[in-house]
Amino acid sequence: MMRCAWWFCLLGSAVCPSLVFAQDVDLHAYIDGRLVAAPGETSWTKGGLGKTRFGDGGTDAQFGGAGLVGTAQLTPALLALGEIQFQTTDRPTVSVIEAYVRYRPVSLSRWRWSVQVGAFLPPISLENDAIGWTSPWTLTPSAINSWVGEELRVIGAEGRVEWRGDANTWELHSALFRRNDPAGDLLADRGWSLSDLTSGLGSRLREPDEAGSGSSPAHRYDPFQNIGSRIGWYANLDWRAAGLGRISLMRYDNRADPTAHTESGVFAWHTWFTSMGASTDTGPIRWIAQVMDGATVIEPVDGMQFKTRFRSAFLLAGWNRGNWRPALRIEHFSTHDGRSEAGIPQGEHGNAVTAALNWRPRDWLRLTAEVLRIDSVRMQRADVGLSPASMLTQVQLGIRLIY
Amino acid sequence: MRCLFMVVALLLGSACSASAAEVVVHFSDAQGHAVNDAVLMLTPDTGTTANPSAAPPATYIIDQRDETFIPYVQVLRPGDKVVFRNSDSTRHHVYSFAAIKTFEFVLRPGESSPALSMDQAGVAAVGCNIHDHMATYLFVSAVSAVAMSSHDGYARLDRLAPGRYTAHVWHPQLHPGRAEPIQSVIIAGDADTVQLSFTLSLLPDPRMFMDREHLDY
Repeated sequence: MMRCAWWFCLLGSAVCPSLVFAQDVDLHAYIDGRLVAAPGETSWTKGGLGKTRFGDGGTDAQFGGAGLVGTAQLTPALLALGEIQFQTTDRPTVSVIEAYVRYRPVSLSRWRWSVQVGAFLPPISLENDAIGWTSPWTLTPSAINSWVGEELRVIGAEGRVEWRGDANTWELHSALFRRNDPAGDLLADRGWSLSDLTSGLGSRLREPDEAGSGSSPAHRYDPFQNIGSRIGWYANLDWRAAGLGRISLMRYDNRADPTAHTESGVFAWHTWFTSMGASTDTGPIRWIAQVMDGATVIEPVDGMQFKTRFRSAFLLAGWNRGNWRPALRIEHFSTHDGRSEAGIPQGEHGNAVTAALNWRPRDWLRLTAEVLRIDSVRMQRADVGLSPASMLTQVQLGIRLIY
Repeated sequence: MRCLFMVVALLLGSACSASAAEVVVHFSDAQGHAVNDAVLMLTPDTGTTANPSAAPPATYIIDQRDETFIPYVQVLRPGDKVVFRNSDSTRHHVYSFAAIKTFEFVLRPGESSPALSMDQAGVAAVGCNIHDHMATYLFVSAVSAVAMSSHDGYARLDRLAPGRYTAHVWHPQLHPGRAEPIQSVIIAGDADTVQLSFTLSLLPDPRMFMDREHLDY
């Protein structure tokens, strides 16, 4: 929470002196409520191995979250943005999803450059382009983008160069960052999840009790901290063509020192991956696909590395029918752990199907019905007496008010 | 029904004046919907002239409301001027890097730019550097017979002399690099009304209109 407050101060000190002169200050907000029929298994957010946000069975009203986004156009070229959220899943938390300043001067040529400094999400998701880093298509993002929201945040600087042609546009983003050293911990210790619980500066992520220091107390960690002194990087190339679509290719490497750890035992996970995304429209149908392939490694003892490979891919089809917006997504995910126990390779593999129907009867109101089914096998589950295979179904009715 | 009225009105108008021919063109997209903002140009195939007008340069207002340029397309003749007016409560940074004209104006709420003379023929795409989803197009043409389709998809050119012409079409959402849609037009007599139709294959509208769910920063 101290770090959260520190970021508020940083943003405030950057923005407040200029607010007097800023002509363009905007506030946006949302609040989200759900009626959830949860699967019987305990959710990972409560220390279990369930892959959904909600668990332990039953049908209950749940708080989906609330957020506030503030922007200030300090000068024609300088934009400041801050986004905070309030969540009660796991425990009540106020966190900062993004807080950055972007300098983008006008360019009278096809080339345009900009630089962005602060805390922000890397440009991976082709789903989450709505307020609060939510998806306009489903309540629950794909496994890939669930993880991006949980453990990835760029706290550093990104430079961007655009080339704007008549038929297409190219963008190259490249960033240097710190404070993302634990990224990968969840994929190794918990595996993939499908959850819209986006973490922020000030959040603490919960590991499965069985993989932590014991079944209790809960083991939580700050996903956005420095462990060691290394600087990570990513580069992303984005191509957009009107009428054809968009392709995005990224390489990410947090360059964390796998031997480094905190006094409380949180390791720096050296994580790297390649991510590719594409989207296109065929009539009113929007197609979105993303693929991610990477690995994360720690070295708790000299010369003994534990490496987890991870992969996932999804295909989403969303139908733009004005106020109605049905969507269907299928995906596959897997991890492969270099360790093996009794000759049985550790890791997981699974598939998920998400069907959602969105209705926007008013600009300020979104109603969503969603069914999520996850069919997976994870060997770690046998350690606590569970069958390695699990089939989870989560049904949600959501109402979101948007200001 | 409205289309029928318009055609009847056009025919009546033609019969009443009987002094020159006209061309009426209807634009639709692949789904059969009327297409507005399509620019129609009629160029004579031979020495026939198309009733050149010697109108003095005009000044047009390009407004900005609800983070949208109005109009989406403005047809100009070389020498015409444009003024960008900001009717929003937020600041805009209007600019263009078009080959025919580069410019930029930072406009506070309620402010208008100086008049900008557009002297060269061509197209200038105009955007806002603060709000990337805003776009408008200045279509500058020296062709004397030029018109733009309205919301019902109709464009009309009148006071045309008999002769052979080619109808050319431009729209901001035509596929770049593809052949320009054209049709031959023959006007046989002074009182002729020639009707044409174009079915255009258009790209999605590049503008993103204000939506509470999508902030687009």
